[in-house]
Amino acid sequence: MSSQMTQIYPLTLIQRNRLLPVPGEINVRPGQKVHPSDVVAQATIPSRHYLVDVGRVLGARTVDAAESLIIRKPGETLEKHDIIAETGGLFSHVIRTPGPGRIVSIHNGRVLIEAESEQIEIKAGFAGQVSRVIAERGVSIETSGALVQGVWGNDRIGFGPLTVDENCLDGELTSAGLGITTRGTVILAGVCASEDILSLAKSVGISGLILGSMPAAMIPTVQVLPFPVILLSGFGKMGIDEVSRQVLETNAGREVSINAMRWNRLTGDRPEIYIPLPAEAEPAITDTAYSVGQKVRVHSGAYAGRVGSIEQIMPGLTQLPSGLRSSSARVRFDQRSSDLFPLVNLDIVQLIN
Amino acid sequence: MTDAMPLLYSVLGVEIGSINTRAFLFDVVEDSYRLISSAVTPSTHTAPSFDVGEAIYDAISRLEAVTGRVFFDHEANLMMPSQPNGEGIDHFVITTSCVPDLNLVVFGLLNDVSLESGRRLAYSTYTQVVEAFGITDRRALNIQLDAVLATRPDLIIFAGGTDGGANRSLARIADLALSALQILPRDRRPQVLYCGNAALADELRTSMDRYTNVRVAPNIRPSLDQEILEPAMEQLSAMVMEKVYEKVGGLQRVSALCSVPPRLSSQAFHRVIRFLGQLYDPTKGVLGFDVGASFTVASFAGVHTSVLNTFNYGLGEGIAHLLERTDISEITRWLVEPVSDDDARDYLWQRSLYPLDVARTPGEFALELAATRQLLQLAMRDLQRRSALPSTRFEPIVISGSALNRTVTPVQSLLTILDGIQPLGICPLIMDKHGIMPILGAIAEFNPVLAVQVLESTAFTNLATVVSVDSKARHGAPVLSARLDYPDGSFMEAEVKQGTIISMPLASGVSGQLRLRMLRRGEIEDISVSNEPIRVRGGVCGLVLDARGRPIKLPSDDTVRRARLKEWEFLLGEK
Repeated sequence: MSSQMTQIYPLTLIQRNRLLPVPGEINVRPGQKVHPSDVVAQATIPSRHYLVDVGRVLGARTVDAAESLIIRKPGETLEKHDIIAETGGLFSHVIRTPGPGRIVSIHNGRVLIEAESEQIEIKAGFAGQVSRVIAERGVSIETSGALVQGVWGNDRIGFGPLTVDENCLDGELTSAGLGITTRGTVILAGVCASEDILSLAKSVGISGLILGSMPAAMIPTVQVLPFPVILLSGFGKMGIDEVSRQVLETNAGREVSINAMRWNRLTGDRPEIYIPLPAEAEPAITDTAYSVGQKVRVHSGAYAGRVGSIEQIMPGLTQLPSGLRSSSARVRFDQRSSDLFPLVNLDIVQLIN
Repeated sequence: MTDAMPLLYSVLGVEIGSINTRAFLFDVVEDSYRLISSAVTPSTHTAPSFDVGEAIYDAISRLEAVTGRVFFDHEANLMMPSQPNGEGIDHFVITTSCVPDLNLVVFGLLNDVSLESGRRLAYSTYTQVVEAFGITDRRALNIQLDAVLATRPDLIIFAGGTDGGANRSLARIADLALSALQILPRDRRPQVLYCGNAALADELRTSMDRYTNVRVAPNIRPSLDQEILEPAMEQLSAMVMEKVYEKVGGLQRVSALCSVPPRLSSQAFHRVIRFLGQLYDPTKGVLGFDVGASFTVASFAGVHTSVLNTFNYGLGEGIAHLLERTDISEITRWLVEPVSDDDARDYLWQRSLYPLDVARTPGEFALELAATRQLLQLAMRDLQRRSALPSTRFEPIVISGSALNRTVTPVQSLLTILDGIQPLGICPLIMDKHGIMPILGAIAEFNPVLAVQVLESTAFTNLATVVSVDSKARHGAPVLSARLDYPDGSFMEAEVKQGTIISMPLASGVSGQLRLRMLRRGEIEDISVSNEPIRVRGGVCGLVLDARGRPIKLPSDDTVRRARLKEWEFLLGEK
C-alpha cells in the first residue's frame, strides 16, 4: 500500500521550484547564489483601470464619430491630464486622463486605460543556488540542509536565526519566551494557545513561529499575522513531535527559512522549514511503503503527534474500537505502550536506513 | 459507436475520488446485469505519484484478486474486448470528482432572470461563483472590470437576453467581458460558455475567439418564463473536465481506453437521479445526496424538473469549508458523550489536513457522524436558499458517499440522514452502499439496461421507509397510531409519542399495508390521513415512525439532550 510521508531530514538535498502565476521576468541566472529575501522572478498583473466613454462625454452620436475624436492609440503611455480625445474647432471640448496609465484598448468609442498594476514578486525563500531557470515562469533553487515539513501554514514566508527555548519546547509559548532578544528571530515552541501571546510576538517583531500545534480556534487570528506561522503536527495541544524537535533543536541559532504555504494535495506543495548547511547531501526519498521498524507519527486522537515504530502490520482488515475496519499496524511508542492504528492515520517520518 | 455495441458485455467502471479510487465490475448473471465485485484503494493523483493510473491499476488488480478474473495482459494493458476464456472486459468507464479549485464568473442581464439562471448553471458543477455582473450592477464599469480581474476567473458563463430580445444591453455586458479577456495574461484567460440570446451567439463567439476558447450552448433563458439548463450543463461539465485533464496527472492518458469520455461524478450521479425521477410518485421528487471528501452533490428530479447542485464542503478537505460556515456547537449538540467544542473543532480541522484518516475510537466516529448531520442540514438550507427544491416531499431519498455507507450499523446511517435532511411525509431511504451511482450514470450513456438492472438489484440497501409526523403536541403525548399488516396475514400495532422515533419490523424487499390514525392535530403528508391503507416497503431498519417534529428541536439542557439522543438510538434498536 502506498504510504503517507512527512519529510523530516537532518541533511538532504533540497530542490524547490519558485514559480510565477503568470509569465514574467527572471532576475537570476543558473548557478547564482541567492539569499532567502532575493526576488528571483517578478511579473505585473493589471489591477486598476479607467474606462473613458468618449461618445457619451463628448456627445458623439455613433461609435465611428466617437472614435474619430480619440487622438491616442492602444499601447500609448499617458501622464495625468493628458488629452485623449477632443472635438476640435474653435471651442474644442477635450477629455483628459484622470491619472497616469497606459491605453489598453479603444473599443466602441471607449478608451480603456490601465492605471495600476500589481507587482508579483517571487522570493527565493531559502539560501541556495539557482539550479535551473524556467523561461518566463521561475527558477529551481537547490541547497543542502535540514528539511522539516509541516501540515498547515498561514501563507507567509520568512527567515531568521532559530531561537530555541527549552521551556517553550515542552509546553506553551509564554511571554518569557518572547524577550527583546527574540526580535528578528524564528521561535520554536510546542504549543501556542493564547492570542495575547501572538499579539506580543507581533509587537516584539519576531520573524517567524514554528509550532508543534495550536488550537484551531486561533486560525482567524494567525491568518492575519505579518510573520509566518507553521504547524508541524496540526491542531490541538499535541505539541512538537520528537523527530522534528531533534532536527530543529540541533540547528538552534542557525538561519532558518519558513515557507508557511497551505498544503496543496494536487500539486504536492507543503509548508516547510529549510535550514541550509555547509555539507554535501543526497536527494530525499519521497516514496516508500509501510514496513516494520519504520518511525511513524499518529495524525489524530489521543495519540496525535506521537512518534512510534511500526511493530507489526496486521494482515487483512482489522476491526478498530470504533467498529470500522481498516488496514492497520501496531505501533510501539515505548516499552509500556503500543496500540493499533489504521495505516492511513500514520505518516512515515523517518525511513529505515 | 454505441449502436454497434453488442447487447451483453462486461463493464469495468472506475470512480476516481479525491480520497479513494473505486473499481467496479459489472457483468451478466442469469440474464441480468449485476455488480460482481468492487475494490477500493487510496487515490494517487497527489504526492508522491501525481498520477491516477497507479490507483486505477491497484484497484483493478484488487478486483482481479477478489474475482479470480484476469483483466490485464502480460504488459499490464487492459484486455479489451473480453476474450472467449472470460479474460478482459468489454467496456471501461471513468468518473471523477478530483477537481481543482475553479473560480467562475457569471455575466448576464437581469439579476432575477439570466443572472440567476447563470448562477444555477454554475452551481451544477464543481466551481465557485466568485462574481456576477448584470445591467443593474451599480458599480462603475472600470470598477466592475477590476473586480473581474481580481477574481482571476478560470471559467466564464455568459448568459442573457431572451431569444429575439433586445441586443444592446447584452453588447454592453459583452464589452466588459471582452475588456477583461483582453487584459488578462494570455495563459490565464478563462474559457467562456455563451448561453444567451441565440441571435448574438456567432457575433460574440467571433469577438471573444481572438482571446480565448468559446463554447456556445442553447440559450438557458430563451424566454422570461422558461429555463433550460441541461444542454449548457453538459457543455460546462466538459469545460470543467478540460481543467481536470490539465491538473490531474494521468487522466488524459487513461481516458483513451474509455468507452465514453470520463465524466464528472456529479453529472453522472445526476443522470441516475433524473432517471429515477421519472419512475416515482409524480407529486413528489427524488432527492439524491453524494457526500464526498471535498464536495457534496445534491440532485433533485421529478417528472418535469431536475436540479443539480454542488457545494464546496465535504467530510475530508471540505470539512474546512463546513467549519467556516458552522458554529461548532451545531455539531457537538448531536453527541451522546460530552466533548468540548475546542476538542471537536481541533479534531475536525485535523481531519481536513488528513482526509484519508479513519475514525479509530467510538468518540471520533460519533464526531464524524455529527459533522455529517450538520453537513446535510447545511446543504438542505443552501438548497432552499438557492430555491433549488421544487418539492419538499421526496420519494425516495438516495444517499451515496463513504461517510454514510461505511457506518457500523444501519441505524447510525438512518439517524444521521434523518437528523440531517429531516424529510417530511412518507419517504423511503436508500443507501448506495458501494458508491456506484456515478458509474451507473456514465454507463447509462451507452448501456441503459445495465444501469436499470443494477439499480433494481441488491447493490443498493433499502434503509427504511420513514413516516414523519409533524405535530405541535406536547412532548410525550401520543400523536399517531399505526397498524402494519404483513403479507402473511399477521399485523402489528404501535402508538407513537410526540418527540420519539420508533421502528416496526418490515424486512427489506417486503411490502406491508400501513394504516395510520392521528391522535392529535398534526400532519404527515399534504393529503389527509384516512383509513385507506398505504403500501410501504421495508428496509434493514424496518418501517420507521418519526414523531420528533420538524425541525427537530434538541433540548438545551446537556443532560436532557444526551438522554434524548440515547433514547432515539435505543428505540431504533441500537444497543
